Amino acid sequence: MKGVRDIFALIVVLALQATVLYRFEIAGIRPDLLVAYVIYFGWMRGPIPGTLGGFGIGLLQDLDASGPLGLNALAKAVIGFLVAKAGFRVHRSNVGVRFAFFFAAMLVHDLIYYGVVTGGDGGEFVKQFFVKAVPTAAYTTVFTILLLGIAERITHVRLLADET
Amino acid sequence: MLRYLFFRRTEWTVFVATALVCLSLMLLERRAQERVVWFLQHTVLAPAEAVAGWTERGVGVYWENEKLRQRTASLQMEVDAMRAERGENARLRHLLGLEQRHPYVLLAADVAGRSLDRLGGSLTLNKGVSDGVLENRAILTPEGLVGRVERVTAHESRVLTLLHRECAVAARVARTRVEGVLRWDFGDQPTLHLLYVSSQEDVKPGDLVVTSGLGGIFPEGVRVGTIDRVGLEPNGLMKEIVVKPAVDFRSVEQVLVYTPSGSGAVAPSDLLDDVRPAEPQPGGTPAATDSSAAPAGAPAVSSGAVAP
Repeated sequence: MKGVRDIFALIVVLALQATVLYRFEIAGIRPDLLVAYVIYFGWMRGPIPGTLGGFGIGLLQDLDASGPLGLNALAKAVIGFLVAKAGFRVHRSNVGVRFAFFFAAMLVHDLIYYGVVTGGDGGEFVKQFFVKAVPTAAYTTVFTILLLGIAERITHVRLLADET
Repeated sequence: MLRYLFFRRTEWTVFVATALVCLSLMLLERRAQERVVWFLQHTVLAPAEAVAGWTERGVGVYWENEKLRQRTASLQMEVDAMRAERGENARLRHLLGLEQRHPYVLLAADVAGRSLDRLGGSLTLNKGVSDGVLENRAILTPEGLVGRVERVTAHESRVLTLLHRECAVAARVARTRVEGVLRWDFGDQPTLHLLYVSSQEDVKPGDLVVTSGLGGIFPEGVRVGTIDRVGLEPNGLMKEIVVKPAVDFRSVEQVLVYTPSGSGAVAPSDLLDDVRPAEPQPGGTPAATDSSAAPAGAPAVSSGAVAP
């Protein structure tokens, strides 16, 4: 059941990201639901599924991306793993915790992504990080928490339930 | 040792192995990366793209309808005005003894899906072979060149934008007609570069870059972007030129598929007229590089989706 739900959620996320999400762009910043999905997936399913899921989704992105092959896969595999390790026994149902967790994980993802993309240019990295990564992380976090809240209300299922 | 790694430290082993695979992929040479991408695209990505296309048609149909109704109303008014102008134009041409021009067909298409990366390396269009779209057709917007069709199915086509590593364009600087090849480069700075321009050539930031028509895929004279920075390559022989694209690939919604109507009929004069190099203005930017100049696609849009 969990597997079916995860695959369904992934298809929805992929479709949203590829089609309608650009309509929600504000000042050149748009939500990155794929990172949010990897965080959710790693947080809920543990380190191994988190790592492999992040790798798979990242590789899917890399196939169609202009950057070096494997960059998104690496960044997402790392956060899939770290989130699962760090998020164990964290109160997932608390909105504040969710916000802090998603936001921090996205920043880690962007640290890796922009760290490689800017090729060691410190000034460019700082610029990209503060101009792109931080606003994207904040916007995606708010967007994801709202989406999760709506989905939980509609389905009456705790998508980010606490450990039992 | 292996037993310890696999059974006691499974999580860390999987993580380290995955990270090593990623790093190996990143360290592969560009050609090897392209082979891996090609293989995976034809096995993994094709179904995902199909799903994305179906969703866009399903979810976006309401929004598109609203927008299309408004566009239809305004376009109808434009068409009426253009019909009158076309009649007048034909009469004047007849008087002047000029031949008919416009040896090309423009087909309007909607963007049904876009690449999952943040840059916008590819687009999926809702038109395919059944609509007359073929591989390697140039894709334009009123702002300028978008890219080329990479592959087509019956009702969809995949477009590589200028921000894709496999899309290279023969281009020239409109002011000085210096030629080069425009290509996305994922070097230290992921940007569009105009390559193979000698260090002796006259190229300045702000110059307009247009297609040169060499290679036969892209029509001549279509706006591509403006020069952002000019430097020298480490060897000192070539210029390092960074080009800012004219089109925002992340938000493009409608495009035009360019099809030469005759065999080898390229170089539509209308497209060229708007970006023909202007006389250098002393102490100022040449008129051709003015961003307010009519874009390459402007006459193309007004010429409609059928061959005149």
